[in-house]
Amino acid sequence: MFSDYAALIVLLPVIAFVLTLFLGKKLYSGGALLPIAAIAGSFIISLGIFFEIYPGGMVQQSIPWFGNGISQMNMGILIDPLAIVMLMMVSFVSLLIHIYAVGYMSHDPAKPRYFAETSLFTAAMLSVILSDNILQFFISWEVVGLCSFLLIGFWYHKPSAAAAAKKAFLVTRIGDVLFLAGIVMLYVNLVEIINNPANAFKIEPGNFLLQFKTMFEAIPLIDKTQLTYITLLFFGGAVGKSGQFPLHGWLPDAMEGPTTVSALIHAATMVTAGVYLVARTFPMFFATPATIMTGVPDSLLIVAIFGGFTALFAATMGLVMNDIKRVLAYSTVSQLGYMMLALGTAGAVVGAQAVGISLFHLVSHAFFKALLFLCAGSVIHAVGTNDIREMGGLFNKMKITATTMLIAALALAGIGIPFINIGTAGFFSKDMIIEKSFEFGEKTGGWGWIFYGFAILAALLTSIYIFRLWFMAFTGKPRSERHSHESPNVMTVPLMILALFALFFGFSQTGFYGYLEKNFELMGVEIAVHEEAAQLPVIIILLPVIVGVLGFLISYAIYYKRMIDMSKIISSENPLYKLLLNRYYEPKIGADLIGVKLTHDVVAQSGEFVDRKIIDGLVIDSIIGNTIFKIGEIIRKLQTGVVQNYASITILGVALLLVLLKLKLGGV
Amino acid sequence: MAGLISLMILISLAGALITFLAKTREQARTVAIITSGISLAISLVIFSQFDSSISTIQFLESYSWIPSIGVTLKFGLDGIGMPLVLLSNIIIPLTVIFAWGETKQANRFYGLILLELTGVLGVFTSLDFFVFYIFWEIVLIPMYFLISIWGGPRKEYAAIKFFIYTHVASLVMLLAIFAMYFNALGITGTPSFDMFGLLKSYQVMDGDLIKGVISLKDAVFIGLLFGFIVKMPAVPFHTWLPDAHVEAPTAGSVILAALLLKMGGYGLFRVILPILPYSDSPSRMITLMAIIGVLSILYGTFLALAQRDLKKMVAYSSISHMGYVTLGAAALVPLSVSGAMYQQFSHGLITGILFMSCGVIQHSAGTRIIHDLGGIAKYMPKLTFVMLAGFLASLGLPGMSGFIAEFLVLVNSYFTLPTFVILALFGIVFTAGYHLWAMQRAVFGTYNEKLGHIHDGANYEIASMAILVLLVIYFGLNPNPVLNMMTVNAEQLLKSVVLRGVIT
Repeated sequence: MFSDYAALIVLLPVIAFVLTLFLGKKLYSGGALLPIAAIAGSFIISLGIFFEIYPGGMVQQSIPWFGNGISQMNMGILIDPLAIVMLMMVSFVSLLIHIYAVGYMSHDPAKPRYFAETSLFTAAMLSVILSDNILQFFISWEVVGLCSFLLIGFWYHKPSAAAAAKKAFLVTRIGDVLFLAGIVMLYVNLVEIINNPANAFKIEPGNFLLQFKTMFEAIPLIDKTQLTYITLLFFGGAVGKSGQFPLHGWLPDAMEGPTTVSALIHAATMVTAGVYLVARTFPMFFATPATIMTGVPDSLLIVAIFGGFTALFAATMGLVMNDIKRVLAYSTVSQLGYMMLALGTAGAVVGAQAVGISLFHLVSHAFFKALLFLCAGSVIHAVGTNDIREMGGLFNKMKITATTMLIAALALAGIGIPFINIGTAGFFSKDMIIEKSFEFGEKTGGWGWIFYGFAILAALLTSIYIFRLWFMAFTGKPRSERHSHESPNVMTVPLMILALFALFFGFSQTGFYGYLEKNFELMGVEIAVHEEAAQLPVIIILLPVIVGVLGFLISYAIYYKRMIDMSKIISSENPLYKLLLNRYYEPKIGADLIGVKLTHDVVAQSGEFVDRKIIDGLVIDSIIGNTIFKIGEIIRKLQTGVVQNYASITILGVALLLVLLKLKLGGV
Repeated sequence: MAGLISLMILISLAGALITFLAKTREQARTVAIITSGISLAISLVIFSQFDSSISTIQFLESYSWIPSIGVTLKFGLDGIGMPLVLLSNIIIPLTVIFAWGETKQANRFYGLILLELTGVLGVFTSLDFFVFYIFWEIVLIPMYFLISIWGGPRKEYAAIKFFIYTHVASLVMLLAIFAMYFNALGITGTPSFDMFGLLKSYQVMDGDLIKGVISLKDAVFIGLLFGFIVKMPAVPFHTWLPDAHVEAPTAGSVILAALLLKMGGYGLFRVILPILPYSDSPSRMITLMAIIGVLSILYGTFLALAQRDLKKMVAYSSISHMGYVTLGAAALVPLSVSGAMYQQFSHGLITGILFMSCGVIQHSAGTRIIHDLGGIAKYMPKLTFVMLAGFLASLGLPGMSGFIAEFLVLVNSYFTLPTFVILALFGIVFTAGYHLWAMQRAVFGTYNEKLGHIHDGANYEIASMAILVLLVIYFGLNPNPVLNMMTVNAEQLLKSVVLRGVIT
């Protein structure tokens, strides 16, 4: 029943976008109710479809689009377990953020534009999720990028917002071009496979070239090296969208938009798209040859390297940031690294189960990160600053915000009680990733242990930076004169709902893994799963929680008890601190050096020089200018505005040429 | 009884003459909008009756003109010409609406615009090389006057440069046409300028232009190619374009970029591709075209990045986008060729929005220099909306027509020209870069108070841009109405390529 209306999951928020954009001014709260109703509709349909297809069904609908023959492109819907959990999460979290925004954005005059754009943002992300082919996936993916550009630059009159919007679009675009190149290679490979009669590979009627189904079926026939290239190019797209090193810089800058936009970007509608891409095409990553490390497909190894490194790298910067949103932004980058790490390491150890492990963290992260951002928004709303050094002592003034944020922090730090399995969402989702990277180390030995090192160290830093933030914001003496107060209900209720999920979502772990495990089998892809249930040493099971608690204690000692004087460490004398505070000089290297200096000042300006001084100056203006240009002057004088003169001279010239030709070619 | 095509051409010509004679501005622009409206209506009738499943010429008309040298007035349409006729009839009325406020010599201004319509319609429908060439030259003249009368400070220089540049190219093309004409005459003994006949006779051409240096076949091929790529324009024959655009009035720029450049691309499909497999060294010619295409894409992109004048930036972006046309044509894969044709159609719509945006900004703020602007979104919200849509379309945002074209070209050209495609992909990031950078500096950010009080675009200006935006989105979501007929003809064009074993 619900699956007949699957297209409405995307169309409802699109309609809301159009209506809000043009009619929003006349409606209550800038037309906020339209997107809220639309996204609620998307959520209800998604939920309905979930119950309809659970546990082993899926929805497939497809219509031809453009192209012809085997190159026929299509538009379609594929809702399998992987897609439906994402659909439910995105529509649900986005719905809560939209409701919260009614309060948060209440004073902004440009509300219609805000709600229209967030509605389109949600629609595009939902469309990414339910695409049944890689082209529609890419198109929706780009629309997601567009919306992030519009929303990060929402306050476009601020130069920093305009710059951040551009940076987000361009940096992710680097990834997008790689992704597009991957699609180009895939397309050519598929067409050649089909055109080769030896393969006897056909697209069944009703199926299309770039559908995931076709792609998966063709995996055994694609040249292995090509498959590695294709998957790595896809991963390039994911690196851009999911803010992995070295394309991570846009995400911390993206907080120039309203905080609710950050919540959307970080939790629901954008950065998870990259992880989802790798998860969606996981069978291809899994099928790449293992040439670097025995038993580990090359592409999965690369995913693990980038993910693991990013997890740690971003966490180090989270330690020193003073802007509350920037801390959270680096936290997102780091957590996305965990999700990539899970796909890479767990993928090598337990095959398709890795998708469930990564996605479980993705969903649980969405709950607690949305919560963290909305809490941050609530705090900023109250104190009027982003700087945690100017906050403090807010606990008594904003009890709901403080409590819910503490819950989110506990979830992010992965606090829970091992063996009896009680804990926050992050305890279940993140610890599993850390355990799998341990198993990966056991499996490969040697430098394969590095991933466990990344994961456990990043977990420690995560706990330190998030409790540093909490202690500095909510405890101690107030550091600003402003009279702060708790936010209105429309904002605090979404916080409480998200807090419930951050607390209890983890208990769905077993069901979640089981449901997603069969995902690719539904599409007829067999992925070998290694069934040996590893016995982990007790210390390995305990360690993630130990570092989580340790991080809490460190921050407690430094930022609550003030046992250590940080002023020596936090100084411009300390090179390490400087390096972190300057974000490893990424903005300088990226925007200033590569963007402005190299591309504009050197390449583009020398092109301009060639164009003006050499092609035009030397060649055109002198050669043509000195000869024909003078003739032109004469013609111009003769013609003096009269067309006939011009025409007769042209015809004269033509006639002359005719005669010459006649003489030349007469004999032929 | 005249057919629909000649009726359309005659009406635009008659409209142009009446407009010239108009006494008042009101009369002139009324005649202009009515005439171009009728022409649009006729083209829509043709479009609705057009059978897009066959590659043969439809709506064929033929009238004897100068039988002694074999000139016939022969018009017809297939999937190559039809979309461009439609494009011309969309662009011209919208240009008239956009330029509704023109006061300087209004009768001549609108008359020249209609004359441009006559010219491009003739080019896209003529099937006789002689008539084709006449229309090809007719197009030049109104543009020359549009630039030299209504242009900016350096209008004289720009107009004459435009004129000489494209005229030299036309003459070279004409020489090649005559070479084919006399070659055919020598074989059949009956004089004929019939386009398809001459292209067919190219297959049996032999001899050398200069012995041991260049064969006649290659010389003719290069002559024709030169004629077309200067018009497109392709690097390194492009420098007339930025100057012409900078000086031209907005209406002139729109017509120049949206329609005149398309004549070059049209020539590639109508003339170059049919003879390419029969030239003496097809693979060298393909490489030559691919190099020109990719060079234009990248060079245009980086030059656009270097510009300070918004309009000049848009001009260089045209060079870059037209590079896709050359690249897709050179790849000789049915869908790459139809992608290239689609790029022509799509770029015509998109570039209209871009040049109109520049015009509105110039008119309102008095400058187009990017760093003299800044924050104009504050007072020009409507312009910002349509301009941003145009810029996004231009940088190839999916969901808009440019993406479909570029996607088809890139993906399908990879079969035959993988290295060139990889190079072209490299340009995409920078394409996004200069578009967004320009928007960031000129439109967003803090308002530059030095600009004083500025006002938003007039309703008729915004309306014509908004219509183009809607079309760009429509054709980005549903390319089939024009893409299908292009694909049918591209497949037919490439039959001989496969036959000759130029590519496998």
